[in-house]
Amino acid sequence: MSCTKEKTDYEAEINTVVTEHYEFKEAAAISSEGYTISIEALNGTFYKGYNEIRLKITDTRTNENIHASSVTFLPVMSGADGSNTSCPHLYDLTYNTDDKYFTGYVVFTSESNTNRSWELYTSFVVNNKNYPAKQNITVQEQPNKNLNMTAFTGKDGEQYIIALVSPQKPTVAENELIAGIYKFNQPASPPSGSFPDPSQFSYTAVSNYTLQLDPRMPEPSMGNHSSINNKDLTQQSDGLYYGVVNYTMTGNWTLNFIMLNQNGKILKGTEVPTDFAPGVEGVKSDLYIDILF
Amino acid sequence: MKKLYTIFWTLFLGMNANAQNTQAQKDTAKVLEEVKVIAIAKKKIQTEMKMAVSVDEFLASSDNISFIKRGAYAWEPLLNNMSTERSTVTIDGMHVFGACTDKMDPITSYVESNNLSAIDIKSGQEGSLHGATVAGSIDLKRKSTPFSPEKKYNGAYQTGFEFNNKQFFNLGNLSYASDKFVADGSISFRKAGNYYDGNNNEVNHSQYNKFNTSVALAYKTSPFSAVRVDAIFDKAKNVGFPALPMDLWLSRAIITSASYKQLFQHGLIRAWDTKVYYNAVEHYMDDTHRPENLVHMDMPGWSTTYGLVSRANLKRGDYSAEIQLNAYHNLSIAEMRMYPQDRSKRTMFAYSWPWVTTRFTSVAMNNSWDISENSRVNFGGSLGYNYNRSKYVEFNWIFHPGTPQEKSRILPGLHASYQLTINQFNFSAGGGYGHRAPSVSEGYGYYIYNSFDRYDYIGNPDLKNEISYEANASAGFKNERMGIEAKVNYFYIQNYIIGRILSLGSPMNYQSVGVKGYTSLDHARLFNMALNANYNILQHLHWKGTLTYARATDDKGGNLPFIRPLSYQTSLHFMYKKIGIQTSLNGDLTQINYSPEYGEDQTPAYMIWNISANYSFNIKNCKTVLQVGAENLLNEYYSTYADWGNIPRMGRNIFTSLKFSF
Ligand SMILES: [Cu+2]
Repeated sequence: MSCTKEKTDYEAEINTVVTEHYEFKEAAAISSEGYTISIEALNGTFYKGYNEIRLKITDTRTNENIHASSVTFLPVMSGADGSNTSCPHLYDLTYNTDDKYFTGYVVFTSESNTNRSWELYTSFVVNNKNYPAKQNITVQEQPNKNLNMTAFTGKDGEQYIIALVSPQKPTVAENELIAGIYKFNQPASPPSGSFPDPSQFSYTAVSNYTLQLDPRMPEPSMGNHSSINNKDLTQQSDGLYYGVVNYTMTGNWTLNFIMLNQNGKILKGTEVPTDFAPGVEGVKSDLYIDILF
Repeated sequence: MKKLYTIFWTLFLGMNANAQNTQAQKDTAKVLEEVKVIAIAKKKIQTEMKMAVSVDEFLASSDNISFIKRGAYAWEPLLNNMSTERSTVTIDGMHVFGACTDKMDPITSYVESNNLSAIDIKSGQEGSLHGATVAGSIDLKRKSTPFSPEKKYNGAYQTGFEFNNKQFFNLGNLSYASDKFVADGSISFRKAGNYYDGNNNEVNHSQYNKFNTSVALAYKTSPFSAVRVDAIFDKAKNVGFPALPMDLWLSRAIITSASYKQLFQHGLIRAWDTKVYYNAVEHYMDDTHRPENLVHMDMPGWSTTYGLVSRANLKRGDYSAEIQLNAYHNLSIAEMRMYPQDRSKRTMFAYSWPWVTTRFTSVAMNNSWDISENSRVNFGGSLGYNYNRSKYVEFNWIFHPGTPQEKSRILPGLHASYQLTINQFNFSAGGGYGHRAPSVSEGYGYYIYNSFDRYDYIGNPDLKNEISYEANASAGFKNERMGIEAKVNYFYIQNYIIGRILSLGSPMNYQSVGVKGYTSLDHARLFNMALNANYNILQHLHWKGTLTYARATDDKGGNLPFIRPLSYQTSLHFMYKKIGIQTSLNGDLTQINYSPEYGEDQTPAYMIWNISANYSFNIKNCKTVLQVGAENLLNEYYSTYADWGNIPRMGRNIFTSLKFSF
């Protein structure tokens, strides 16, 4: 006797709105004076939000992997109005000796469209010679809401960006929640040297901040449902912020945040009501990121 | 019980004697059947008031059974005032587990009165034969026609109408028996509309539709052995549960088994019966008829069980025993899918039973030793092994981080009693000790909404075994004219499992007010008392009365919920030629010891008066009984202490039924 209704395939259920990417593929390739710079990202695509990148330099003639030095990476967005801005990124890439590539990250704050385009500026040194290179790239919308980001101005007047790094594919479970918190460093002096001047486009991961977390389901019928055993995000040695979020069921969740600086001062975010309010859309903190799985 | 043992062993002795003679074959047919039937406490599936009862109505006539009622259908039987987690409910020793997280489908809802021959109720550890228990066991005995030397057809057809809820039912069963082969079949349909309460108000969502059919085939493989295959199919559709926020769209069960039975003429082992079984239950709830629901939810559930039960009957001199091996494997799955108000948005999904496997094995033994002509000792024990695994343990980790995915438990049980008969008096005293494992919901349930206290319940895989210490006693007097018997039992239950409010966590279900987690109280105490009396006023005029009382408290002296207040039943039964007239009064006194902590309010006293009359006659070879009666004749508006959400019970109900049997 077969069942009247089929059981839910739980794996497929979570995959319906979330695609998890594991593989780094080439997202951009730049040629410069006999060298090819290959920039890899997950799924071979630059998405809005956090992207881990891997950069490899090969000698075009020998096809050999080159261990260059002083590899830099700078994304610049040009607007139709002539403005140039950047986004959080690691300027001086680090070398991963085991796997022989340079690694870094970039948090694109908007996707490419007709009014704005992104350009990657890199440079590296081989045999004491500096090789600059640039390449126009396309930044696509991130379809996975679990890698959403938000940009805002804190009460200290600084520009901040919070980007979700992990989990790509949450489950109804205790999930480790990883986010990057970045701040734009206002340039101290006007631009100098040839474009782009990195000092005009400098971002850093903030240190010793705390991101208080209150996850809730915003759906009116869920009555401001929340979960327990969540942990606020604190910074770990890799510079990212780690916490714990429990999702009690699949669907839309809002991660309500309150961001505190190293002195415990609130820079952004408000407490959300904790009462059960069936039929009412959940009230959000003024600092939040929506996710969906 | 003692009397039954006597009959049982007399029969076996009888079998031995018969087996000696040349017509052994003929007699074994009878013996095979009798062994089966007599080994249990046999009660006909009808009450004094009503001959066409439902399984629930029949169970209700037992003084240690009460019911939680969520509507007109599928009542949850409480044994010794304890819920179904604490008792084992089986069908011919087969374990079947409901697929509803809201207990809409107790096992008793998957059988029908016309495929049962008896219901065997054992109190406390005496019931541990079928598996670990605290409250006792309820075994629903299937009908099985004996082999017959000459070919025989038997059958019955019963139809009836109940006016209050326009219930129309048709029950039919047919059997064929020969020397080598027996076939039993039954079919039944019940359809009922909404019922009306004592104020003549319609109780919405109280309708039901039930279809049940069963078939059994037995073949005698030798004079002393037989094989038998059995199947029950049950389907309930469009069943309203007025006390719950949702109804049942469809519930289906298929319950199958194959067994082999061998009788032995000599030696210690007299009978050995082994059965393998498989059953599958599916259950789909429906909230679309409740406009008050803000959220539409799908809540399907599935429960699949396969198992083995093997039982041997032993006898030597004054000593007799039953040994039973039980083994089963169950997988319980229940899902919740909530639909957002904007249906284009993503649905929300969670498991309320995250694919929970239960494996259970036990060996149990009941012994009986006649130490003298008027005294007997019964003793026995069981040793069980219970294993649970939650496939999607991450659901359980939300409230119990890091709890192991698998959990094993050893469940011992012991009991002993002494029985003494002095002239017309009889006495018994006994005690028991036993463990039980938490149920699937208690261990692994996830946001299961309980509409009684309006909390979402979370299971706890780390719960300790519930440990019961039990004492029982009875005293009775009986002569030709009258009988009176008093029975008491007392349970001291350690690690009593119950839901407690969790200060953390917020509810998931829209109607819910908070979250409760299953936790263990240090202990709870339960006391049950029943007083039965009967008196033959005239040769054809009989009186019967029952008084029951129960009291249960938690470790702080607070009341436990669903404990029956002082209740009574008194009935008169008059027979004259082919006419029988019965009348009864029953009721509860005011519920004094209710439990606001567990969502109860005080239930006032009520009294119900019932009356019925039946007339028997023959149409050719067909025995015919016509019955007309009325329940709640005075149309009292009431609800009982165990009516979920205080839904009112049925008002006056006039019932008629007609039964033909040949
Ligand atoms: Cu149900």
